[in-house]
Amino acid sequence: MPYKTSEIVDAVVIGTGAGGAPLLARLAQAGLKVVALEAGKQWNPAHDFPTDEKAQAKLFWNDERLSAGNDPIPFGSNNSGTGVGGSTLHYTAYTPRAQPDDLRIRTEFGVGEDWPFSFDQLEPYYDEVEQFLGVSGPSPYPWGPARKQAYALGPLPVNGAGQLMERGCKEVGIKTSPAANAALSAGYYQEGVGHRPACANRGFCQAGCNIGAKASMDVTYIPLAVHYGAEIRPECFVTQLVKSPAGILSEVVYMRNGQEERQRCRFVFLCAGTIETARLLLLNDLANSSGQVGRNVMAHPGLQIWGEFDEDIRPYKGIPGALISEDMHRPADADFVGGYLLQSIGVMPVTYVSQMARGRGLWGQDLKRAALAYNHVAGINILGDCLPYDHNYLELSDEKDIRGLPKPRIYFSNGESEERMTAHANKVMRAIWGAAGARNIWAFPRNAHVIGTCRMGNDASTAVVNANGQSFDIPNLYISDNSTFPSALSVNPALTIMALALRTADRFLEQWK
Amino acid sequence: MSNAHMLPHYPEGTVRTLLTTDLVTEATRQALTDRLNAPLREPTFFSADDFALLDAVCNRLIPQDEQEKRIPVAEGIDERLSKNTTNGWRYDSMPNDGDAFKLGLKGINESALVIFQQPFLNLSGDQQDQILKAVQVMEAPGEVWQNLPADRFFEELLAEAVENYYSHPVAQEEIGYVGMADTPGWKRLGLNQLEDREPRMATD
Repeated sequence: MPYKTSEIVDAVVIGTGAGGAPLLARLAQAGLKVVALEAGKQWNPAHDFPTDEKAQAKLFWNDERLSAGNDPIPFGSNNSGTGVGGSTLHYTAYTPRAQPDDLRIRTEFGVGEDWPFSFDQLEPYYDEVEQFLGVSGPSPYPWGPARKQAYALGPLPVNGAGQLMERGCKEVGIKTSPAANAALSAGYYQEGVGHRPACANRGFCQAGCNIGAKASMDVTYIPLAVHYGAEIRPECFVTQLVKSPAGILSEVVYMRNGQEERQRCRFVFLCAGTIETARLLLLNDLANSSGQVGRNVMAHPGLQIWGEFDEDIRPYKGIPGALISEDMHRPADADFVGGYLLQSIGVMPVTYVSQMARGRGLWGQDLKRAALAYNHVAGINILGDCLPYDHNYLELSDEKDIRGLPKPRIYFSNGESEERMTAHANKVMRAIWGAAGARNIWAFPRNAHVIGTCRMGNDASTAVVNANGQSFDIPNLYISDNSTFPSALSVNPALTIMALALRTADRFLEQWK
Repeated sequence: MSNAHMLPHYPEGTVRTLLTTDLVTEATRQALTDRLNAPLREPTFFSADDFALLDAVCNRLIPQDEQEKRIPVAEGIDERLSKNTTNGWRYDSMPNDGDAFKLGLKGINESALVIFQQPFLNLSGDQQDQILKAVQVMEAPGEVWQNLPADRFFEELLAEAVENYYSHPVAQEEIGYVGMADTPGWKRLGLNQLEDREPRMATD
């Protein structure tokens, strides 16, 4: 039953992605009255998720953002989603864990920032999230500290791109493993969620999974939250956080069906992601006594190397990221900070050809010839750490969106460390593809996953929230999403966002319940 | 049999045939069938002249002179701009998408007039390609390109044209893509492992 807007609920959670959904479920399970406000729609996977890239563009956050700096970040399909489930609706469900040293970049390299707690604070939550989502992966996992628990399910089958990467890596002496992925290699049942079927190898993980085998929040933590009494309010766009005279938040204002509504509450959990979380705080001039809201934007170096092979690959089959290597986590010859991982990549045709047009500048008959090779292409990409810099930040522009609110402008330029890392990876991946027998090798430079803008830390003058995700300025405001990461980590962020969300929820419950 | 058929190619009609089977979900069938059967659209964002120019440019970027079924590339751009939707971001150095397209088309024509003393539409295919190449590498003459970053404009136009083209079932047949036929799941995933419904390249 929906809560009344006049009622003072315990918590309003803004955003239902990897940061909001696990936390929402935890608070609901603890018996709190919780309402989640989600800007996007509630989708029905079987009906709304056709196997078609264009038809699924609706899952991206398509409100225009302005990309500035030397390496402007593409948003939309590259970053951030909309709909109940947030960006997890279209994440590729890569779920590697961060390694302990990822959390102490400053200690080890003298630059960047350490996390305000150590790996052992995240570890139990990694275990919990992996078991809950039903992550498929190898046991033992070849890199990082030994696991207390094996992955919930065995690894998914390795597709053509993965087999080629395995072949090339063997040749050049790089260790590989089937990747951990939050798609189910066998049917999975859980109390409060129900039964989810095994992955059908549809390869369409960059969009919405139509059978619920991929662990997006809409088929995992959201049903669990609802099971425990949480209310999900889709198509509610939050515009304002209202502060009472006492200096705490008392109401959340949002637009629904063109009307303004207000939900009274005791606590607010802002889980709208790096861009929208910072934008909302800046719009309302809140939680920014440090001046750090919008600062420290980071984006993973995500260079992709593509090649054409004699073999028939059919890059649309199997999970895109079937194979992984973390051998480059701290390579001996590194001249950069941190490290990166390697992943094989399959790809859908429109994404591939459009990237190729951008990356190689091909058009005319050259483009059509290269596109004809689609069934014979495979890629490898990296995901690497990124340092926070003063020159990378988000600000409100003068240009207004359709709601009359300022569009965000995001500055991003890779620094020397990111450029050296990319150059290192370029060599490594070209060697792998060369050894695997690739022709027409080409590179697509990119940065993926935006991180930062509301850093967590122990010092109120340099961080926006404390180690528990609580605002230094406004005690009943919490942030739970990728905006609070003090450093970018050398892995895909989703699993860590979820683990951190559960930790934030538990810390909150200990303190306030 | 025409010359084109001597080159390696995938058989025609693969996707269209699959769309009539239960190998695709109802949602997928609907999305692709609607696109396949979309009626030709009169431009509502661009003027008739601008649209003719955009159409000619798109046909150089992705030639489809020899195709029996023309894929509406420029029409898709016009439709999006009419609806005022975006793909979620734009280069800060560019004006909004609608203005960028209008300016860019003006720039292309201006460059054609400077180099060949003729509007773009009057040029031969090779001459049109010369203009577009110059725009792509930021060497196109004309006032427009003093204010609009030519390489960014070209990249955005090309990417959108490509997305419109390769989203179309007929273009997907051309490259042998049948990923939409996924209801039984895919069991043969490895190298050179094809399912019966996956088309083979031929040279006949």
